Formats: sequence, C-alpha cells, structure tokens
Amino acid sequence: MKNKFLIILSALLLLVLGACSSSQSNSKGSEEGEGTEGAKTEETAGKQEVVFWHAMSGDLETVLKDIVADFNASQEDIEVTPVFQGTYEEALTKFNTVAGTKDAPTIMQTFEVGTKYMIDSGHVQPVQKFIDEDNYDTSQWESNISNYYTVDGEQYSMPFNSSTPVLIYNKDAFKEAGLDPEKAPMTYSELKDASKKLTKADGGETSQYGFSILNYGWFFEEMLAGQGGHYVDNENGRNGNATKATFNDELGLNVFNLISDMYNEGTFYNVGQNWDDMRAAFQSGKMAMYLDSSAGVKTIVDNAEFEVGVSYLPIPDEADRQGVIIGGASVWMSSGIEEEKQRAAWEFMKYLTTPEVQADWHVKTGYFAINPAAYEQDIVKEEWEKYPQLKVTVDQLSETKPGTATQGALISVFPESRQKVVTAMENLYQGMDPQEALDQAAEETNRALEVANKKQGK
Amino acid sequence: MSITKKIVIYSLLILSFLIMMFPIFYALMISFMQGGEVLRGNIIPETLTLENYQSAFEKVPLIQYLWNSFYVSSVVMLGQIIVSSLAAFAFVFVSFKGREFIFFLFISTMMIPWEATMVPNFLTIQKLGWLNSYSSLTIPFFALAFGTFLLRQQFKTIPKELYEASQVAGISRFRFFWNVVLPVSKTSLITLGIYSFLTTWNMYLWPLLVTNNESVRTVQIGLKQLQSQEISTEWGVVMAAVVVVILPTLILLFLGQKRLQKGLTQGALK
Repeated sequence: MKNKFLIILSALLLLVLGACSSSQSNSKGSEEGEGTEGAKTEETAGKQEVVFWHAMSGDLETVLKDIVADFNASQEDIEVTPVFQGTYEEALTKFNTVAGTKDAPTIMQTFEVGTKYMIDSGHVQPVQKFIDEDNYDTSQWESNISNYYTVDGEQYSMPFNSSTPVLIYNKDAFKEAGLDPEKAPMTYSELKDASKKLTKADGGETSQYGFSILNYGWFFEEMLAGQGGHYVDNENGRNGNATKATFNDELGLNVFNLISDMYNEGTFYNVGQNWDDMRAAFQSGKMAMYLDSSAGVKTIVDNAEFEVGVSYLPIPDEADRQGVIIGGASVWMSSGIEEEKQRAAWEFMKYLTTPEVQADWHVKTGYFAINPAAYEQDIVKEEWEKYPQLKVTVDQLSETKPGTATQGALISVFPESRQKVVTAMENLYQGMDPQEALDQAAEETNRALEVANKKQGK
Repeated sequence: MSITKKIVIYSLLILSFLIMMFPIFYALMISFMQGGEVLRGNIIPETLTLENYQSAFEKVPLIQYLWNSFYVSSVVMLGQIIVSSLAAFAFVFVSFKGREFIFFLFISTMMIPWEATMVPNFLTIQKLGWLNSYSSLTIPFFALAFGTFLLRQQFKTIPKELYEASQVAGISRFRFFWNVVLPVSKTSLITLGIYSFLTTWNMYLWPLLVTNNESVRTVQIGLKQLQSQEISTEWGVVMAAVVVVILPTLILLFLGQKRLQKGLTQGALK
C-alpha cells in the first residue's frame, strides 16, 4: 500500500516537472521564432513571419483563415499567422498590455470606435508611410470607408471589415397589413404610420410590434449622422480634440422623440441589448421592422421563413439624407518592430484589398468590399442576383455624402460614451423625458472627454 | 415519514430537478437544430442530425483544446492538492512563531479578487518567458488559500495526541503526513480536487491573455471562437461544442457528488 502511494506521488511529481521542462523548451523556441513554436520555426525558416491578431470568430474566422492560407500559398517570402484574441474589447486590452514588447503582433485588428484610442496609444505605424513609399493608389477604395480611418489627412489603418446599419423588414407582414412590400418607410412619419398598421394588438397582448432598435449606441450615432448631426464638437473631433458632446441637440432629440413616441404608442418593441435576441424576435414575427448591421443581412434572409426586405435608414421628414457612417473594423500596423516585418505586413494588407479577395470576403461574410472594383467580379454579381438585398446595403453606402457627420466621430472614450447612450435609451422606456435622458448622457460623455483630454495633455 | 410529507418533498425535488436540468436539456436540443429553428424559439428540433457536432469539430481544433484543458486542469488539481495539503499540515501540526498571524495573512488573500492581480501576474509571466506554454496556465494557480483553509479544518479534527505519539515513536513528519493525515482526509482531498479541476476547466480570461496559439489554448476560448460578433451566431454549432465541453465536468460531478457534498459541508460547519 505504502509503495503504491510512493509510486503515485513520484509519478505526479514527474508530471509537474514535465510540465515545467516542456514549457522551458517551448519558451526557448518562441524566443528564437519570436512568437511561434519551435516546430514551426524550422518549417518557416527564411520566411518573414507576420502575426495577425484578429477578433473574427465563428464563420468569419473560417473565411479569414482561408484568405490568409491563400496568401501564404501565393508567395514564398511571407508567412502570416492569424491569431484569434477574443472580442474587439478583449483584443484591445491585450494589445495594450504587450504593445511595444516582442510579444506584440505585427498586424492588429481593431473596431472602428477604437481608432482614436489606437492613435493615442503611440504604438502604431500609420500605413500612410507605405502608401507614400509605394505610390499606392488609395483612390481605388470606397472613399466613404477609408475616410473614417483618415485623420489629419493621414491614412492610419487599412479598412478591412466594414458594415453599415440598414432597415430590415418582413415583406409578408407588409402585405398582410395592406402596405406595399416594395416600398419601405423612408421618413420618420412614414415609419410611424407603417408601424401602426403593422402592430397587432389583442387586448393587452401585442403579438406583433411595428418597429424596434437595439439598445446599442451605434444605431443612435447612425440615426444622428443620417440627418447630418455631429456627435461631438470640433467637427466630430476631426478638426482637433473633441471637448464636448453635441448629440443632445435637436437632431439627437429627433431620434429620441421617435423612440419615445413610438414606445408610448405601443408600436415599438424593446428588444434589449443582445443582437441575437433582436434577430430571434424578428424571425419569430414579434416585430416587423428593425435596424440591423448590413453584415447580418445574408443570414437573416437565409433563416427567415418569410420574405425579407432591406432598405435605407429612415430620416426625419424635413431632413436632408446624408447617409451612414461606416462601422466594423480596420487593421493596424505596430510600430517598434523591424522595417522588414512591417513591409511584409504591408504586402499582406495590400493583398487583403485586392478586388478578388474583397469580392470573396463580401460574398462570404456580407461585409462591404472596400475596393468597389470587387463589385464587378462575377461571384458578386451572381450573389446579388440571389440576394438582391445585399445591393441595397452597398447603394446606401455609395450614396453617402462625404462630410464630417458621416465620417464619424473621433473620440478615445467612445466605448464609454456608447454605454451612456444605451442607459439613456433604456431610461426612455422608463418614461424619462427624451431631452432629459439625452442631456444626462451628454453630460457624462463630457466628463469622460475631460478626463481623457487631461490625460492626453500630461 | 408520513406519506404526505414524502409527496411534498418529492414534488419539490422533481420541480427543482426540472429547473436545474432545463438549461442543459435545452442546450442539448439546440445542438441538433438548424440555424432558423433556434431563432424561432423551438424547443424540440425538427430533425435529428449530428451535423452541428461535425462542424464544431471542423471549425476549431476542439480535440486539441479538450486535451489542453484536461492536461492543464489535471496539473492544477494535483499541484493545488500537494501545495495546499503540505501548507495545511504545517499550519496545524508544526508549531512555529507567528503561525496564526501568517495563517490569517494567508487567508486574507482570499479577499483580493483574482482580476485585480491579473496585470502584475501577466507581466511576471511575460518576463519569465512563459507565454504560450503550459506553465503559465498551471503554476500561478498552485497556491490556493481556499484549499489550504479547507484542508486545515479537516486536519484539525485529527487528535493532536496522535501526532505527539508518532513523534515519540520516532516517525518522521512526512511519514505521519503520508500514512495518517492523508488517508483520513480523503473526502476533503477529493472535494478540493473536484473544485480545482472545475474552476480551472472553466477559466477563460487568463488562458486568453497568456496564450497566442492553438497548441496550448483551452476549450473555453474555443467556445468563444465559435460565437460571432455582428453577424448571427450559429447557436446550433456553439451548443454542440458546449455539450462536448460540459461532458467531462458532468461526469466528474456525478462520480464525486457524494464526497463533494460531504467535504464542502464539513468545512462549513467548523
């Protein structure tokens, strides 16, 4: 019995020791290969290794991995390693911890609202440098996308996966309510009327609501920009550091009034904060119209048992349609790494933006092609025939009028500010006055901006 | 026990069983569903296919992740048992100056949330060059205040006289520890083992921070990897992976349930 115990104990100790020693050899390997395992180093000897951190999960990751594999096979000198790093927020936190050290990635994907944060971090290399050196023609890009990532005339990052909000509606429900299924509401009053007709209330129970917006700051920003409103002062922070929130003006109030009015009329459904909850509500017929990301359109059409229509964002009756701000993410290059590595990363970035890759990306994910030439590719044309809804999303973007409103706000405290707007939206459902809710959110954003600017000044 | 009392107790038990089991049952059902069915809120799938399981294994290296999780959890479990039992032994049987004070200092670290120490821990691991290796996933977790506390309470039930007698008989401390203390504390050791295995199995943030490639990553990252942002998540596939991932933990729970219960309540009563 005693011997048995001793044998087990020594086995355990060996196991623990094994864990230590194997890890040591591992870490040695990673020192030599800068971030790869020992085995991989030999295989990729002589190749320039580019580590690409991304936040693409689920189906998106599969598509991204295919693109990277194609790139690696297409040439001999560069080996790109895509690494999933959690959500955009998690990846950004991690990047922040390792930025400037040897563990930092060469290419980093960050969501659009992290733009200012990345610039302020001081650990990024604007891609403008390589654009200039290469005389790369950026005019081939969709300017409404690349504008977002251009700050002070300098292209900081390469736009990658981009999306915009669209109005999605149930055509069958439209027919049933006696509305024209090919004519979606374009203005607030049309939206209100349609919602009233679409709402099916039975006593106290509403079985189908007219309209819904997810409690998510992005949609508010888009509705604001659609009328030409600015989120913050200094021309949306594009003309110098933003110091004050301006979204609580009458344009912002238009949006909040719309939500509050419709909610009080009982035609607006509060879906909460979760994207999948919202889509589930639409699929199950709980509501007939809602706002969604253009990237989600294809799966919605595939999964729905009814006919799905896609249209532009509605605007107030008297407003002039400005268009939409781009959402999604872009890819950044780290600074403080060898020039050859950066050059290799640049080669990969250029590959990402070729029409062929972009066409593939657009068809398989629903994100926009940043290079409009991609829309001329045959696979895109075929796809558009199958899903005419996709074309609507592209049209809405290309019809967007360039300006600081549709370029999007540039502030480092965006994630925080978005949270305040969400709280304000939720307060509306509690019966708070729209102006009061907006003012509160604006005030809290001002405070966050003040703190951030002070930190910057130091 | 009267018959009415029995009926009441059993119906309460059945009710709580249903409440407890529903999420697992629903996850299992979703794992057989196709995209649209989940969103429409069906509870029973229309067809029974294993397609989701297949794509879950294809989309992420699930087997590699499962092995990593299993390896990391086992090593942490053993490490915690060894370190905690030795520490608890010292706190109970070896008298030295300031023992109580050190013990309470030790226990007070339970008050510090783990997340608060995450960044310094990360920097240490980075300096040691342990990123992307099993050691960063295991070694930082070997010392566990809760485990030491749990075992100390158990060891205290062993009469001090026994220890003194063994000293008189000239038996070494380690033999006393090995032949007397450990065998009588089996229940607590198993409780601690299950507890530490499950906690390590469910870790997400730390493994995500310290690993950069698939060869050492754990299943929880794999689960996250299956969920999309912005575009619709294929819940069927995610749930298929979830079912695979919770299987080991469920088996462990069923096997060790009695001992776990006994061990945990023992600590609470003292």
